[in-house]
Amino acid sequence: MRILGKARLRLRSLCRRPNVDFELEAELRFHLDQLIEENISSGMPPEEARRAAQRMIGGIAQHKEECRDMRRVNFVEDLVQDIRYTIRSLAKSPGFTGVVVATLALGIGANTAIFTIVHGVLLRPLDYPKPDQLMYLAAESPATGDTRNPLSAPEYAEFRQMNQSFAAVGAYSTGGAAYTTGEVNLTAGDRPLRVRSISVDAHLLKALSIQPEQGRFFSDEETARWTGTLPPPIAILSHELWRTAFGGRSLVGQKVEIEGRLHEIVGIMPPGADVMDNQTQVWLPLWLHPSTARQRGVHVLYVIARLKDGVTFEAAQTELNAFIKDWGERVGTKDHVPTNNPVRAVDHTLQLQALQDAIVGSSSRQIWVLQAAVGFVLLIVCANLANLVMARAGSRRREFVLRTALGASRGRLLRQSVTEGAVMSGAGGILGLWLASAGVRALIRAYPTSIPRTSELTIDLPVLLVALGLSTGTALLFGFVSLGRGRTSMATALKEGARGASGAWRHYARRGLVTAQVAFAVMLVIGAGLLVRTVYNLTRIDAGFDRSRLVTFSMTLPMANSDPDTRAQAYQRVLDRLRSVPGVLGTVAMSGLPPDRTPDAVATPVENYTSDDGRPFAIVDYYQFVMGDYFGTMGIPIVAGRGFERTDNASQGKVAIVNETLAKRIWKGQNPIGQRLRPPGGSFGATDDVWHTVIGVAKDVRQRGVERPAGTELYVSLDQHGVSPPSMNVVMRTTLPPAALSGTVQRVVREVDAAVPVVRLRDMDSVFAESIRRPRLLAQLLGAFAGLALLLAAIGTYGVLSYMVTERRREIGIRVALGATRCNVLTQIMKQGLQVTMLGVTIGLAGALAVNRLIASLLFGVQPTDIVTIAFVIATITAVAVIASWLPAWRASRLDPNVVLRDE
Amino acid sequence: MAKPTDLVQGTLDLLILKTLSLEPKHGWAIGKRIQQVSEEALRIQQGSLYPALHRLEQQAWIEAEWRPTETGRMAKFYSLTRSGRKQLERELANWARLSTAINIVVQEA
Repeated sequence: MRILGKARLRLRSLCRRPNVDFELEAELRFHLDQLIEENISSGMPPEEARRAAQRMIGGIAQHKEECRDMRRVNFVEDLVQDIRYTIRSLAKSPGFTGVVVATLALGIGANTAIFTIVHGVLLRPLDYPKPDQLMYLAAESPATGDTRNPLSAPEYAEFRQMNQSFAAVGAYSTGGAAYTTGEVNLTAGDRPLRVRSISVDAHLLKALSIQPEQGRFFSDEETARWTGTLPPPIAILSHELWRTAFGGRSLVGQKVEIEGRLHEIVGIMPPGADVMDNQTQVWLPLWLHPSTARQRGVHVLYVIARLKDGVTFEAAQTELNAFIKDWGERVGTKDHVPTNNPVRAVDHTLQLQALQDAIVGSSSRQIWVLQAAVGFVLLIVCANLANLVMARAGSRRREFVLRTALGASRGRLLRQSVTEGAVMSGAGGILGLWLASAGVRALIRAYPTSIPRTSELTIDLPVLLVALGLSTGTALLFGFVSLGRGRTSMATALKEGARGASGAWRHYARRGLVTAQVAFAVMLVIGAGLLVRTVYNLTRIDAGFDRSRLVTFSMTLPMANSDPDTRAQAYQRVLDRLRSVPGVLGTVAMSGLPPDRTPDAVATPVENYTSDDGRPFAIVDYYQFVMGDYFGTMGIPIVAGRGFERTDNASQGKVAIVNETLAKRIWKGQNPIGQRLRPPGGSFGATDDVWHTVIGVAKDVRQRGVERPAGTELYVSLDQHGVSPPSMNVVMRTTLPPAALSGTVQRVVREVDAAVPVVRLRDMDSVFAESIRRPRLLAQLLGAFAGLALLLAAIGTYGVLSYMVTERRREIGIRVALGATRCNVLTQIMKQGLQVTMLGVTIGLAGALAVNRLIASLLFGVQPTDIVTIAFVIATITAVAVIASWLPAWRASRLDPNVVLRDE
Repeated sequence: MAKPTDLVQGTLDLLILKTLSLEPKHGWAIGKRIQQVSEEALRIQQGSLYPALHRLEQQAWIEAEWRPTETGRMAKFYSLTRSGRKQLERELANWARLSTAINIVVQEA
């Protein structure tokens, strides 16, 4: 009660201040009148009585102030006063304010933006109930370096039965079954779309514990009984696709054409529902061809499992290890089971991983590197601000001293400084937050697939708290930097007067700050330099073909309503029509588009061959089914034998071309020409497996990322077989840009099949850019941050030197008067600037060598200690330092001793 | 905030509370009353009295009300609240202890 009462009174004092003041005035006036009356009644003349009374009670104003002090609302009043004063005084020096607020906004903005990513991608739990119970089970083959591979169907079934640790174990697939590429054709109204799909079983939906927004999920029946030749025609749409493609109209129970067949829509997912950041638009029932489902060697299923309540990750891992130890005995086969000791390329083991780690994967390190980089930028920003504030505090010395002399307490002055800091960092913070949100949005728009979980990125409460913390921290820094300055006694300060001579510690502090700035900038610029070199190296890689003036698109003729030979004819028609377009020099089609395609890893029988593990077949990493003059149009050199020729089409003997890696790995120095392999006909639509004779060896082409060494590759000519797999990539050698070809391509494809969408029409340079998007994004961001750091360090150096020149005008004037030449002055000042910079460069270099190991795994073709990069960075920083020091030094050398000495 | 006062530190509050315990009074009357009762020994300066009144009001030990005086002028009358009465008891007890203790020391010497 009492506390409430008091609060009410204080609130009254604050809110109704004019009223309270008026009351106080009246109360004191009453007292004064009483005193006058008393004086008069004791016999004084009225005028004298009044004067005596006033003398007696002293200044009314002072009493009022004391009474108000008693009411304890001064703090708030002072704050309002401070803020007003601050805004006035900041408005008077717009240059200073502008630099501070802009610097702060950049520092806070960069940090908030990156922290938004750190928080949204790495820290925030997944959007499933109890997300830490979700585990990802993957196959690993250390011998081939493959991690996070899918499991085979028998393995999945066995693990489901054996385990005791998991409440639910489910599987999904994005390829390898009826829907091969993780994308399907879908007709919305009369619009053909290509949408992202995933095939899931009922167990997976149970494990993830997601509920459909409308309709139902797939049943066990629908996703586990794999019979016939095609999966059951049912589908669930994502909320987003349902809204955008179908306008949100009632759809459950209706039929929609997917991959050439009518599918019943059984449900709609809630907004944002997804698996493994797949950006799923259509959910299809998991289905495997019965023969595929029996093979242990065919790894097609990705497995996600939910731990039982109370079971730890370690317990589940221990259980899994026990299974792997005697998996073979448990299931009664020695053939291709997981092993704890995988030594050969065909061996694999199983690895459990938290689902979140599996989703974020390798980008985690890149994001932390960025966070560290912006952390450095913030430190540089703080050092710069501290320097600026010190300089400003120096020039406002007299103001502070005067205020102290007029009775301002030290606490009161500190409060004023902190308020100044708070106003500026508040402005910087708000501006920074705006920059951050704009930046994150632009980033996602520019690189939609480079950062995982982007659909969930928002600036939410924890991010806001971090931004707030950054602003508060800098505000306090401001206050205390000014406070440190205020320590000199009033008397000294007044005596020193306008000269503002300063203690040595302040010189050291300011130079120390510049040294630190330069050191951090050096570390950042070296890091950025290494990544820029990495990207340069990646773009310079010879992928094995001539990428210039190539335009590509992809299309899919669904398996359900086409057969291999009608597909081949349809593709042939598309190719023929495109060849007749003016400006198109050559047109070919291929099943997998280099340099970034998924591997096939097909077991291929080879004549007179035994593999390391005693089998008569080799695993071929990539199958490339081609149409047209493939090698000529793509510019892939044939290093031995010959390429496909028109005459092959009519000949009976089937021919194949291998790449250098395959030739070396299988035939080890023997002549590959004339050797025979038997690719499974099912993989490209042929009815049976026939022997193919090798007629040529092609130069290696990078298939799965430009930075990865080429695998083994086998080329088969579809023109010879007259069949085609459902999805093909068309590539045109042309003088025209993709935009100019777009209309023609759309028309040609529509004429051949109106239900087939043209997908990803773009030039080959874009395909390459896309394949190295992550390192490029990292290099660009880091480069921007490094540039910012460099700029800030330059401003810092310049600021400190100019301030020093201003402070030492007199000394310089005297020296010039005593005969120092302009050149002497110039070199002296510049020497001081460069000394500070060089110290910073040395420290930064040591720091860079210490921490650059951490980014070694992100580099390509360049060592963390790359001497060229380091030399270049040192040269750049030195050049920047020379410019930053030259300006104040030049100004010092122009000082006219007459003017300077008269001023003093 | 050192204020020159002839009073023993902290006793002004006690005097005000005691004076108000009989009936509500305005500031001028409080000062006069203390002066009279103490036979002119204690003169409360305006500079001490009003801040003290405001402080006590802030503590919610006294409350204020504008009322006309006998002469018809409006003045701010202070009166004791219930918690003020309790505070008065505490301060009286304190004072009793303190003055006894001082007396003992003074007489011993």
